[in-house]
Amino acid sequence: MRKAGIIILSFLCIVLCYFTFTTAQKAFKSELELPAASTTTKDRYRIVLITQELETPFWDKVGAGAAEQAQKDGASLEVWGSYGKNQEDFLKKLEIAIQSKVDGIIVQGLDTQKFKDLTKIKAAFYGIPIITVANDVPKAESLRKTYVGSDQHLAGKMIAQLMLSDMGQHGNIILLSDSQKEYYQEQRLKGIREVFKDYPNVKAVYAETSDSREQVIAKTQDLLNKYPDVNGFIAVNANIAGAMIQEISRRGKVEPYHIYSFDDGSESLSLLNQKKLDGVIEQSPEMMGRKSVDLLIKWLNNDKVPLDADGYLSDIGIIKAMDKR
Amino acid sequence: MNKIQKKIWMLATVVLVIMGIIWIALTYYNQKTQNQYNEILQRYIKMNEVTSTSQLVVTNLNNYLLEPSKANLTELNHSKENLNRVKDEVLSLRNTENEFDLTNYMNLIDSLIETTDRSLMFYSEKDTEASDKEFTEATRISKYISDMTLTLIDTELKTYDRFYRGIIDQSAEFKKLGIWLMLLITLLLLMITYWFSLSITRPVQLLTRAANELSAGRFDKEIKVDSNDEISFLAQTFNRMRININNLFQEIQQKAQLEHELQQSKLLLKESQLRNLQSQINPHFLFNTLNTLSKKAYLEGSEETSDLLVSVAGLLRYNLKWLDRAVTLRDEVVVIQQYMNIQKARFTDRLTLNMEIDEACLEVQIPGLTLQPIIENAVIYAVEPREEGGNIWFRIKDGDNQVIIEVEDDGPGIQEHKIKQIVEGELVQTDAASTGIGFSNVVKRLKLFYGMENLMDIQSHIGLGTKVVLRIPKTRGIEENAKTLDRG
Repeated sequence: MRKAGIIILSFLCIVLCYFTFTTAQKAFKSELELPAASTTTKDRYRIVLITQELETPFWDKVGAGAAEQAQKDGASLEVWGSYGKNQEDFLKKLEIAIQSKVDGIIVQGLDTQKFKDLTKIKAAFYGIPIITVANDVPKAESLRKTYVGSDQHLAGKMIAQLMLSDMGQHGNIILLSDSQKEYYQEQRLKGIREVFKDYPNVKAVYAETSDSREQVIAKTQDLLNKYPDVNGFIAVNANIAGAMIQEISRRGKVEPYHIYSFDDGSESLSLLNQKKLDGVIEQSPEMMGRKSVDLLIKWLNNDKVPLDADGYLSDIGIIKAMDKR
Repeated sequence: MNKIQKKIWMLATVVLVIMGIIWIALTYYNQKTQNQYNEILQRYIKMNEVTSTSQLVVTNLNNYLLEPSKANLTELNHSKENLNRVKDEVLSLRNTENEFDLTNYMNLIDSLIETTDRSLMFYSEKDTEASDKEFTEATRISKYISDMTLTLIDTELKTYDRFYRGIIDQSAEFKKLGIWLMLLITLLLLMITYWFSLSITRPVQLLTRAANELSAGRFDKEIKVDSNDEISFLAQTFNRMRININNLFQEIQQKAQLEHELQQSKLLLKESQLRNLQSQINPHFLFNTLNTLSKKAYLEGSEETSDLLVSVAGLLRYNLKWLDRAVTLRDEVVVIQQYMNIQKARFTDRLTLNMEIDEACLEVQIPGLTLQPIIENAVIYAVEPREEGGNIWFRIKDGDNQVIIEVEDDGPGIQEHKIKQIVEGELVQTDAASTGIGFSNVVKRLKLFYGMENLMDIQSHIGLGTKVVLRIPKTRGIEENAKTLDRG
């Protein structure tokens, strides 16, 4: 009886001790460290990558490439930007970056006066180097240090040649672009036109539309009405490809048409997977990101002065719908 | 110090220490959490201060541009200083998570101050347009600062989210810990208190039990208490007291025994005397009568009858005279011979008495009328009831430091239990046949006379006979006894 009592008591004691100690450990465990106060930050370059199209596959890749390179070089990099080509927001971010006196700005080029003012006057005033990435603006108008990205002229040429090889040497083609007349689109059109110039049997119709989806749909409708015998489309601005194809498929089958675009649109790759796009020009967004950061840091370190103002071109290639899967 | 007091102090100290530890731990933890809360709150407050200060700068700049008074300028400068101070404070909020944003934040503040300065400069140069432009920019920057503050606070919230949740979890754990700890301490304290109280009360209980025993009169049980405090000392003292009392008690008991024996011997004496007195009325008359009868028988030529009567008279005299004092063995032997003469006359040749007497032993002191009742006994039981008569042997032998007296008969024997009663002096004979002084009277008187036990031994075989052996020491053990007897 007494022995049983002692055993029960000691068992109770041990159990209570166990629970007390485990809870005490949990309660006093100081894993909750606040982020360490940083001290060694003075020397790190602060670089901002600003884009108009956050969280699109293309720009995610640019961001990833840039972040990778920045980490390698020991610079801190932030990706800022606007969603869905919100220019006002985009420009505000750019201005904040300039006013924040970051060490370098990598920016998606925007061919507007405001952008040029900011880069040419403000950034130059604070001595902040600006590199345009993916989309260029004329050097003279923006005072950008250099451009990293695809050769849009070449890309235009390639897409035109792709169209020719698929469609043959005659046919009607619609080149749909947006009304912003951005520099890189101009470059692409220039390339396309250069190719088609040599083929008189190929009739290229150029059309412009504004950005909004309704407008694109309306314009496509209009074009289809106007040119019922059209054989192919090229969406010079990749972002309008989605709306365009939606309208075409509403009219009839998409397959008979040869439709091409570029990979920097938010829907480009998914459309390609659905075989609604017959082919896209593939650029190398990761490489752009890496290269731009690399160049910027080299410039900041005075390793490579001056930068080649004509730009550093990244690889481009073609993906056709049948290549996939 | 006092042991029990020490124990109590120890218990109190243990409880105090446990409580103290818990209190310190809880207070420490509380303080820590409080500090963390304060730190976090301060971060928010500081960041918010930047926003308000930067807005104030812009407002003051606006006021100055509208009304360029000295007061406004002082205010503007003051707010700028404030902004700088706040900026330095914000610098300390830097950590790995918000490093980039915070640097931007600081630079934005710098930009705001620079822009403000430029605006002032242009204003002083009367370049109102440029000044306005810079003012607009300052306003914009101030707005950016506000935005950035919100972004930063948002980042902070995200960064510290884990931390906040941690704090919440921790306080939940603390609640649990409190319950467990309370249970554990309760159990431990209960156990300690139980053990502790037992260590005090158990010796007391033992002592109580011992005291009870003592009060109940049992002094022979040893009192032993194993404890390391005063109770043990108390028990030892108590035990010593018990031993002392026990000794005293035994002494008193012994004395009482003696007293009792004395009383008894006195009573016996009284009895003898009473009988003596009873028979005192007629002894002289009897003696005279017997003597007259003896003379008459002698004169009538019946010498034998005359001798018998003399013997009876002698026996009677002896009986009356020597009962209460010591006599020599020789006197006893003479009485026995007289007695046997009478019995011989009664039983004639049915009774044969064989006497073997060592003359050297006859000077031994012996209580009067010791042997006569024994012989009488033998006659009554071994000779009287038997038609063919019986033999009685009477021997006095010398045995080292004692005289051995044997009375043997060939009668029917005495039963074992009866012997025991006789030897222990319990059997009171009321046989009419005896002369008056019984067997047990003899036994008791011997015991009192010599102050020794086992002086008498009875060996008996049923149908074969009985042998009574007396061992009389040559020197008397307790003289006083004899003296008291003498005095009586």
